[in-house]
Amino acid sequence: MQVFLYLFSDYTLRTVAIGTAILGIVSGALGSYAVLRKQSLVGDAISHAALPGICLAFLITDSKAPFVMVVGASLAGWLGILVVTAIVRNTRIKEDAALGIILAVFFGVGIVLLTLIQKMPNANQAGLDKFLFGQAAALLERDIKTMGIIGVMVIGLTLLFWKEFKLLCFDPAFGASLGFPMKILDILLMTLIVMAIVIGLQAVGVVLMSAMVVAPASAARQWTNRLAFMVCLAAFFGAMAGITGAVISSTAAKIPTGPMIVICASIIFLFSLAFAPNRGLIWRLRLKKVKFDLETTEVDSG
Amino acid sequence: MRKIISLGLLWITVLFSCTDQQRVSPPAQKLTDNLEIQGRPIRVVTTIGMIADLAKNIGGEMVEVTSLMGTGVDPHLYKASAGDVTLVSQADLILYNGLHLEAGMSGVLERLSDQKPNQVLAVTKNIDRLKLTAPPEFAGAYDPHVWFDVTLWTNVAETIRSALVKLMPSAEAHFQTRAKKYILQLEDLHIYVKEKATQIEASKRVLVTAHDAFGYFGQAYGFEVRGLQGISTATEAGTADVRNLAQFIADRKIPAIFVESSVPRQSIEAVQAAVQARKFEVQIGGELFSDAMGNPDTKEGTYIGMVQHNIDTIFDGLTGNN
Amino acid sequence: MPINQSSSAIEVTDLTVAYQEKPVLWDIDMSVPPGVLMAIVGPNGAGKTTLIKAILGLVRSTSGQMLIYGKPYQQQRHIVSYVPQRGSVDWDFPTTVKDVVIMGRYGALGWLRRPGKQEKKLASEAMEKVGILNLENRQISQLSGGQQQRVFLARALTQDAQIYFMDEPFQGVDATTERAIVSLLQQFRQEGKTVVVVHHDLQTVSDYFDWVTLLNVRRIASGPVDAIFNESNLRQTYGGRIGFLKTEQEMSKPQVLTEPTL
Repeated sequence: MQVFLYLFSDYTLRTVAIGTAILGIVSGALGSYAVLRKQSLVGDAISHAALPGICLAFLITDSKAPFVMVVGASLAGWLGILVVTAIVRNTRIKEDAALGIILAVFFGVGIVLLTLIQKMPNANQAGLDKFLFGQAAALLERDIKTMGIIGVMVIGLTLLFWKEFKLLCFDPAFGASLGFPMKILDILLMTLIVMAIVIGLQAVGVVLMSAMVVAPASAARQWTNRLAFMVCLAAFFGAMAGITGAVISSTAAKIPTGPMIVICASIIFLFSLAFAPNRGLIWRLRLKKVKFDLETTEVDSG
Repeated sequence: MRKIISLGLLWITVLFSCTDQQRVSPPAQKLTDNLEIQGRPIRVVTTIGMIADLAKNIGGEMVEVTSLMGTGVDPHLYKASAGDVTLVSQADLILYNGLHLEAGMSGVLERLSDQKPNQVLAVTKNIDRLKLTAPPEFAGAYDPHVWFDVTLWTNVAETIRSALVKLMPSAEAHFQTRAKKYILQLEDLHIYVKEKATQIEASKRVLVTAHDAFGYFGQAYGFEVRGLQGISTATEAGTADVRNLAQFIADRKIPAIFVESSVPRQSIEAVQAAVQARKFEVQIGGELFSDAMGNPDTKEGTYIGMVQHNIDTIFDGLTGNN
Repeated sequence: MPINQSSSAIEVTDLTVAYQEKPVLWDIDMSVPPGVLMAIVGPNGAGKTTLIKAILGLVRSTSGQMLIYGKPYQQQRHIVSYVPQRGSVDWDFPTTVKDVVIMGRYGALGWLRRPGKQEKKLASEAMEKVGILNLENRQISQLSGGQQQRVFLARALTQDAQIYFMDEPFQGVDATTERAIVSLLQQFRQEGKTVVVVHHDLQTVSDYFDWVTLLNVRRIASGPVDAIFNESNLRQTYGGRIGFLKTEQEMSKPQVLTEPTL
């Protein structure tokens, strides 16, 4: 498709595509862990929890610089996760309910803060609400650099603690018996997931980021039974969704990039759900049919 | 623990039912056709600051004006808060732009129109529709940014004057004098802008901004106008939009593009970066006030000051007088 | 016969564990000599799994002191191996048999280091010992219950520990696996290792074990099987919901009729 050549020739598309690719890779990779631990809602909760952090960061520093926004969003997302952990450990409320509560409460506070900021006579405040849905086309080189640096750190730490995270996700009791501090590893993994979400907020926004954490990883799970391959494949799917979304939204005016990326990720997921060997639906249906044929033939010949 | 949570939920529910605006707001004056204010200033609530500025100038001490949207607020996206609804329910006159500018408040405005039929006024209602443009992407509705054509805004001033007179006939002379004086200032402003515009070379008279707010400005003062986002900032600018605009700027060698106070800077910076990649240096000529005025207590915090600031900035940017 | 404190494999004193005011273990004193194969038995909810987890520091205890070979567990991790219940893990996790077995070496590897050739070799040896070497590359969800249990055992083997804690390893396994476990236990005894097993099947306690602890929130009794595993102690543990089938030939050996539940 001729439009893909634009990736190389057009500055804006190239910049946006690099940004969304980084987003896709990091959220796909870290999303694998969230999905495997049955914490898919975490992505949604963290990205919604980031909103008050962004608002407070603006209120305190009076700046919308990307670094400030990232710090604010991370702290808020992180705080949200800590509160969830505290709720689960100290009350009878289960994790999914706790995540839902944090999502709603933090997001509500964020909206209140946004409204408050609207009321302030500060000419600088325009555009904070762009974090709700993202504005990928406005990604600048300095944003890409920030995303890249954080992305490399996150992936690097994931590789460094590979076996520790594997232990944490598969058999934390056994890991604890070996002497690994499972609570600390849990917090570390959560922090990395928070970072993965935060770097994508500028491009796809708070509301849609949760999809990027869940869809590529769930799609990847369909194709493989090895953790390493799943994480790599999820990163790959995420990047594909990011780049394809950016390219398609560049073909015509007024196609928003963020939602387009999420649509691409969903298509990848649906395709994997249907067509993957062994776990895919089509495969399973055929297997059932083969089994059924076998049984009926046996009866006939018997 | 469970007890505390249930008590808390009960308390929150009670709180919420108590703050239901319908029951708390005091009944305004009886809804008659001929509401007349006597013995106190008219309480005017406006949506955007530019309308508030007009109302203040025409009403003088006979009016008490509050504006819902402050400095730097984007009226396309603004949603009324509960506090706003209280304010508005106690107002004698509610002035809004209309033409779908205040898209986020349309529900509230409709309800208000039902409650107070003669006190909610779209100030653009007397503008001859032939003078308005209806851009195709805005689904057949008119471009609402009428304040940038000073002659259209003069029409709005007259509409507001009439509304004030209706509410307080005893002060008619007062309103007429003030309105006349102010409209003279507007006419001077119109001439000022026109002259400044002609001083810019015709080929350079291209105004590129963050969104399509300056259509009437362009029409009235001879500028070709291009915005990154459309009429409303609610849409997200896509990469194609950035690319097309950047190509346009590079092709026409436009010296400066402009950011707007109520729209995030970043999108224009992205356009600038794209233009630079095409080997053309375009400056960010300065900040224009498009959908909101500047800080109060500054010159740009008034309508006249804002328009002047805009044309001066545009002039400096396009003629290279930075 | 009093056991010298410093020479017991496990020494538990005054252990109480409570979840939100509900006692799970109450005032447990237990002394286990080294080199025994001990079964922990009791009805459901008796706190058997919790006892092991408390000794290993995996659950917080309200009070009590627990020593393994004379020292608290934090200092003894390198000689301890824990085999959790099969159901405590999601077997749909994308990993292979070999991968899980190698996890046994993570403790020795410590932070950040990757498993290498040495670890793979130890894993292969362990897998062969329990008879699953041919399954090493299989995804763990494709295993039968018994095979899964043997994966856990192989993992435990790679740890080369001095004391093993196993939680219901015989639960729901096939005959091959049962034989493999028993042969492993015998081997451990020969090597002088201590093994503590939460066991669900009263019928086989005296066949497989030489030491037993009867538990029902409190410690009912603890000691050699011959002395402790008798009708009166069992009635006390299971609260009367237990039947005994006495055949003419084996009057001295109590047999259990039903598996009692609380």
